[in-house]
Amino acid sequence: MKRTARTAVAVVAIAGLALSLAACSTPAAQEPSGPLTVWVMGDSGANFEKLVAGSGIKVDVVAIPWDSIDAKLTTAVASGKGPDIVQIGLSKLRTFADAGALLPLDDLLVDHPGLATSNFPAGIAGTATSVGGKIVSVPWTSDTRVLFTRTDILAANGIKSPPATWKDLRADAKILAGRGKGQYGYYIPQWDAPLPIEMTWSNGGEVIDSKGNVNFDSKAFQSAVDTYTGLYADGSVPTNSDFDQQQGFVSGVAPMLVSGPYLGKGVTTAAPELAGKWQASPLPSGDGGSVSLFAGSNLGIWFNTDKKQQSLKLLEYVDQPKQQLAWYTMTGELPTASAALADSTLNSDPNVKVYTDQLKTAKVLPLVSNWDGAVGTALLNALNSIVLTGADRKTALEGFFTATKTLTVK
Amino acid sequence: MRNRLTPYLFVSPALLLLVAFGIFPILVAAVISTTNMNISAFASWNNVKFIGIDNYTKLFADTTFWQALGNTGTFALFGVPAIVLLSLGVALLLNRSQSRFFTSLRAFYFIPAITAIVAISLVWGYLYNTQFGLLNYLLSLVGIDQVQWLSDPLLAKFSVALVAVWRGTGLNIIIFLAALQGVPKEYLEAASLDGAGEWKKTFTIIIPLLRFAIFFVVVTTTISWLQFFDEPFVLTDGGPLGATTSASIFLYKQGFRLNQFGYASAGSIVLFAIIAVITLIQLRLRRADDEY
Repeated sequence: MKRTARTAVAVVAIAGLALSLAACSTPAAQEPSGPLTVWVMGDSGANFEKLVAGSGIKVDVVAIPWDSIDAKLTTAVASGKGPDIVQIGLSKLRTFADAGALLPLDDLLVDHPGLATSNFPAGIAGTATSVGGKIVSVPWTSDTRVLFTRTDILAANGIKSPPATWKDLRADAKILAGRGKGQYGYYIPQWDAPLPIEMTWSNGGEVIDSKGNVNFDSKAFQSAVDTYTGLYADGSVPTNSDFDQQQGFVSGVAPMLVSGPYLGKGVTTAAPELAGKWQASPLPSGDGGSVSLFAGSNLGIWFNTDKKQQSLKLLEYVDQPKQQLAWYTMTGELPTASAALADSTLNSDPNVKVYTDQLKTAKVLPLVSNWDGAVGTALLNALNSIVLTGADRKTALEGFFTATKTLTVK
Repeated sequence: MRNRLTPYLFVSPALLLLVAFGIFPILVAAVISTTNMNISAFASWNNVKFIGIDNYTKLFADTTFWQALGNTGTFALFGVPAIVLLSLGVALLLNRSQSRFFTSLRAFYFIPAITAIVAISLVWGYLYNTQFGLLNYLLSLVGIDQVQWLSDPLLAKFSVALVAVWRGTGLNIIIFLAALQGVPKEYLEAASLDGAGEWKKTFTIIIPLLRFAIFFVVVTTTISWLQFFDEPFVLTDGGPLGATTSASIFLYKQGFRLNQFGYASAGSIVLFAIIAVITLIQLRLRRADDEY
């Protein structure tokens, strides 16, 4: 009897010890308390605090201006003192990952079904945005490019519907530019590096070859250059670099342009009286259909954070379709969760329906290290030198091909 | 022995600061310029490799680097005389009276020098704007077409340099005004007695006596033009088509946008060498007329 009791005590003691050990080994219990530092891009800092207020997780949000992200990243990685969670524009993802700033998430996502790759469109989650075979971020907001038109001005000039192809767009733009001096048909932002790539994709081309190297030397790209330079040759686009796209659209000076949902939001806020006089429609197509850009941003966890589990918990919280829709209401940034993108209330706005439909076929820019700085700038310099200073097309493009052909996604 | 060491003891604090913040960074940059260091170095130092003078050969074959150097040369060539002559002229005029109006004008000319560059870029950006800018509005009143102040590659150089001249004169005017206080009244009075007019006095007495101030302003202004950065950075970001990309902007973009730290270091060493050579030449020329 006595012996049994002793055994029982031992068993209980061992069980208790094991339990308390197990409790200790749960990482959450070991992580230091205190707020998570979150780097949010642009001016959405206050909104992010509002969004996560319901999660019970304390956050310390730092708003980082888009312009200074490179400098911020460099100093943070070099000093080892970064945030816990960072928002990464998709075009910067590769740079962040190359710097070793992001924690590989492959093994961690298993315990967080809310972040599973299957919750998001195939084009942006999991392997589609992994770098070096490792998943380093989860989708957060999405953004795409569609065609915006002032339907009232188009109708007044005998154009019944927004152009559906790039060819129609060029013809319509010429008609609209003929309205008089200082009037244009279309607007090409001189800083919009993805535009020629969207044109190339829509022409059925690719900018990365089968070996993973950057390669623009294709028929589809040449045809995109035709459209780009043609719009300038027709006098359909303004040539000054300080042209304001929203102002140009609202005033009707440039009644057509390809832009993102932020333009729609901007016009609605700045010129509510224009309601019903403008609309979003799918990006014009070429031979390859209407293929637009999947921009937007992901969230990643900083490589040396000591609050891994809390960070994952926060990511899972904000990536719920419900929270992503709340974020859309606050900021106008579209969700990434498939369930949220299919939400009927969201899609009741016809313009938003255009965005979400466009996102279904949209593609992410190739994850080449420093795409913006290296490829984007060289592409714009080549095209703009042709249209603005009359540089020889062949020489300019050859120079661009040579400068970028050594770059690779691998 | 002890006496001989004393002067070194006195200069050592200044010397240590110079070594720590002047010479040491240059040596580090020189070492980095021989590597392929980029942002992946932060992930693992194994990604940094010694590549000898490859960065330099690549740099000298880079047309954008030559364009940036050319732009910097153009800026310095026109900017240095513009700033020196303008600030000297204004200082001579301001020095003609000590009345309250003139002293308030001094403050007025100094305002651009102490205004934040961001505010300056906003205001000048609006002035220069093609569609809504004040300049184009005024021109339209007299029937002149829209001028693309910041979009035309040639004109953008001028527009950006104009802001830098406007901003750079203030401090130099103060330097010249201070130097003008040092011109002995006796010389001017003696010249007046001998029948010298205002022009004669200015050109034969005042300006020669300002020699050292002019030399100082020329050297510092040259260096600041060779390091020209703020105005094109905030107004045009080096555009259109690289027309306002100075050497410093080129380095900034290579280093902090493209994260090519090795390449940017090579460029900065080249720029450092250019500035050092030009400044040495200026100092040598100065020595030649020391006996004036």
